[in-house]
Amino acid sequence: MKRYMILLSAALVLGALSCAGPEETKTEGLESSVSAGRLSADVDPETLEVLRKINSVSAYEVPDLGLREDEVYAKTAQDVEPFRHVTPFKEHFLLQIEYTGPGRAIPEPIDVETVKLGFIGPIMSTVSVATGGKSHEETLGIKMLQGVRLAIEEANVRGGYLKRNIPFELAISNDNGLWGASGNEIIKLAYKDKVWVILGTIDGANSHIAIRVALKAEIVMMNSGDTDPTFIETNIPWVFRCISDDRQQGYLLVDYLYRKLGLKRVGVIRGSNRYGRFGVREILDGSRRLGNPIVLEMAYDLGIQDFSLQLERLKRENLEAIVHWGDAVEGAQILNQMRAMGMKQPYFASDRCLSDEFIGIAGANAEGVICSSPWNPKGKNKRLTEFRKAFRKRFGEEPETFAAHAYDGMNMLIWAVQVAGLNRAKIRDVLAYRVRPFNGVTGDIMLSSCLDDVGDVYLAKRKKGKWNFYSREELKIPRGYIPRRDRVSRPPAKL
Amino acid sequence: MKYLIIAVKILMVCSLLVARRSALGSRATSHGPREKLPYVYTEWKHFTVNTGLPNDHVFAIKADGPKVWVGTENGLACIDKRTGKIKSWKEKDGLPWRVVSALDVNPKTGELWVGLFGGGLARFSGGRFDHWHQLNSGLVNDVVYGVAIENDNVWAATTAGASRYNTVTGEWTIYTEKNSPMEEIWNYGVSYDAGKVYLGIWGSGVLEFDVATETWKDYLDPDGEMEIDLYRDDGIVHVISTGTSYIDGILWVSTYFGMNRYDGRHWRGFYEHETGLPSDFGNAVKGRSANEAWFATDKGLGVLADFPSDTWVTYTMDPNTHRGKAVVSQNQKVLEAIDMPKSIPHNYALWVEIDGNDVWVGTSKGVGWGIGPGYYKGLKDRAVYKAKIVKIKAEN
Repeated sequence: MKRYMILLSAALVLGALSCAGPEETKTEGLESSVSAGRLSADVDPETLEVLRKINSVSAYEVPDLGLREDEVYAKTAQDVEPFRHVTPFKEHFLLQIEYTGPGRAIPEPIDVETVKLGFIGPIMSTVSVATGGKSHEETLGIKMLQGVRLAIEEANVRGGYLKRNIPFELAISNDNGLWGASGNEIIKLAYKDKVWVILGTIDGANSHIAIRVALKAEIVMMNSGDTDPTFIETNIPWVFRCISDDRQQGYLLVDYLYRKLGLKRVGVIRGSNRYGRFGVREILDGSRRLGNPIVLEMAYDLGIQDFSLQLERLKRENLEAIVHWGDAVEGAQILNQMRAMGMKQPYFASDRCLSDEFIGIAGANAEGVICSSPWNPKGKNKRLTEFRKAFRKRFGEEPETFAAHAYDGMNMLIWAVQVAGLNRAKIRDVLAYRVRPFNGVTGDIMLSSCLDDVGDVYLAKRKKGKWNFYSREELKIPRGYIPRRDRVSRPPAKL
Repeated sequence: MKYLIIAVKILMVCSLLVARRSALGSRATSHGPREKLPYVYTEWKHFTVNTGLPNDHVFAIKADGPKVWVGTENGLACIDKRTGKIKSWKEKDGLPWRVVSALDVNPKTGELWVGLFGGGLARFSGGRFDHWHQLNSGLVNDVVYGVAIENDNVWAATTAGASRYNTVTGEWTIYTEKNSPMEEIWNYGVSYDAGKVYLGIWGSGVLEFDVATETWKDYLDPDGEMEIDLYRDDGIVHVISTGTSYIDGILWVSTYFGMNRYDGRHWRGFYEHETGLPSDFGNAVKGRSANEAWFATDKGLGVLADFPSDTWVTYTMDPNTHRGKAVVSQNQKVLEAIDMPKSIPHNYALWVEIDGNDVWVGTSKGVGWGIGPGYYKGLKDRAVYKAKIVKIKAEN
């Protein structure tokens, strides 16, 4: 009898187990903070809804957060679209990419004394593949680090990570090395330093390496200094950018050269590194698509001093304007040598020439130069004024493009950490699904469906020893027609 | 007392019947019409940290006889298929670095080669780890994404080029943009079969290395644009390639933007919206034959079960019930939808390994072992579980 009673009990237990649902690992953390009204950062109602959803899923569920859809990729005008006379079989980057992994269910750790935030940028001189010798981006990287430092120090003054009242701590890595070094550095930040987010990289090649690691390690990577258009064209749900890229700057410059000025014969001189190669792609393509192919494109090895070979060939082409895409030093040297050779064409350059370094070398020749700019540093913006003041007080110098965008990027990350808590997937979610622009010192940052900043870009004209910044509207630069159409759900093209 | 015993017996028989029906899955109830259909894996076993894996985030699997090696985000594991027991190694056990991102076994020696994500390359043999990294060897970078054995050589696909190590002579060869047609050097996957090494390269499509002639051939997206694929079948669908698999003279490719098949003359692109692919975001691919390939995506497992008839099997896990689902579709029509007690352990699939009639799937939440004693190639006349001729999209 006893044996049968045991068997009966075992059968009942087995039955009960088989009826039970799968194990659920519901996450805890900020949802309790939300319900208790203890949210520690500015949270709009839409973000609260995102939080409600991401805090209620198990490791196996993917929250329905509503994917962002763009009608047109990167605000591209119809007449500069690639192969515009053919409907492509597939268009990418119009629909936001999801994160479908289990990361949201990882509970917030208890035993942290600081909240580590990672930085990777060129801050120490080393060898560079791009130059074949000494590295060259430290001046930009150090500015970027200053912006990051200021954002973190200010956050700590406000109480640090408010949910726990513990400070933010900056973990720093140098990436100005041989290609591939940045991959090792991201691994160090993600697995050894155990940072919650990472901001950084300028060099396009290093950036691509870094984001591939971030994808596998599942950590947010915010970029504030790499304007390579392909950086974001990789479908990685962990990558954000808070600076307008060379595609946007290229489009504006192309519109200015051809639609506004009506030029026909433009030449290009660029660095032979990735920044130069990819930076001018939209100018090359846009010029050709608008019926004015670039007459001559000349590349130069980084670090050279004598540009006569390139300039003599450009001079022979009877050009109406010359566009330079490269660093400030080379940009100024080329300009000086052009003028010395009697070349009086208008000189256009990328935003890297918007620097004291460029002015210091170019001197009076800088007068009349026009540069593209990812932002308007002279805009009427209270936040910018306060940032300038704080930056001057902290570092004794003026902030510039790299400092300002890094400051914005780190503030976006700090906001996300405060709101989402210490969970890398949730930090990603609140940034990726934010529907309101982030009010930064560089302007309002609204991310596209591929999490890129496609905000306004500007042209800066050097006049009477000063840079003056103009929007497209202020210069009355015509814009190509951007058709509004639902491309995400359109039927596929016929084969 | 006698009645109680009879009642208990009846109860136990009923329980056994219910349990058996559940184990067989829905197939036991199949009574539909007969059609030509592919094999569907309905028997799955899961391995997670609860059953002995060192970590659930699985990046690589390599089957080697009764052993199945598993590379995770925090350790190496070996599953004994016969017993189901798992042995694992972490840094404290001599593993040079915690994140194991790639695995391959040298068939001549039985040595396990381990790609370490940020830790270089290791060989596990005789219970000992030997370690190569960028400071003590010709390994071009420590961030290793892929490993493949080619004859006496070990290839490592790294984030800054590919390295080839001759295990007999000890010679290293590095391939970058300097000596190969790598537009970018960000190698992602490497595979070898029948005299050809294929590298899947982020930003540089696929590179083919002919071992006999030591020559390279590159395969890029012909439209040259990142934001579009102009024509589906004009070449590789996108240059952000993640994996390659060469078998029976057919190259299979996964990218983050869709998948490909190449027969040496014709390319064929595969996208989610027109096939049984659960997603265009392909983490890895494994070809089983010229007509069958398994794609690990971020939303499940897509299996092109029979290329000539465009027949797919899509495996997913229900995130709420954790039951498995396999959908058989042909030319966008669902032929069969099979509900089963288990399928893959998570829909974020990162790796696939073919093991005879069985398959192994690495996911973000453990390993799934699909057991297929009756596996058959292509299509076979069999009963349809549930004929539902509807558009895939309509069903979703």
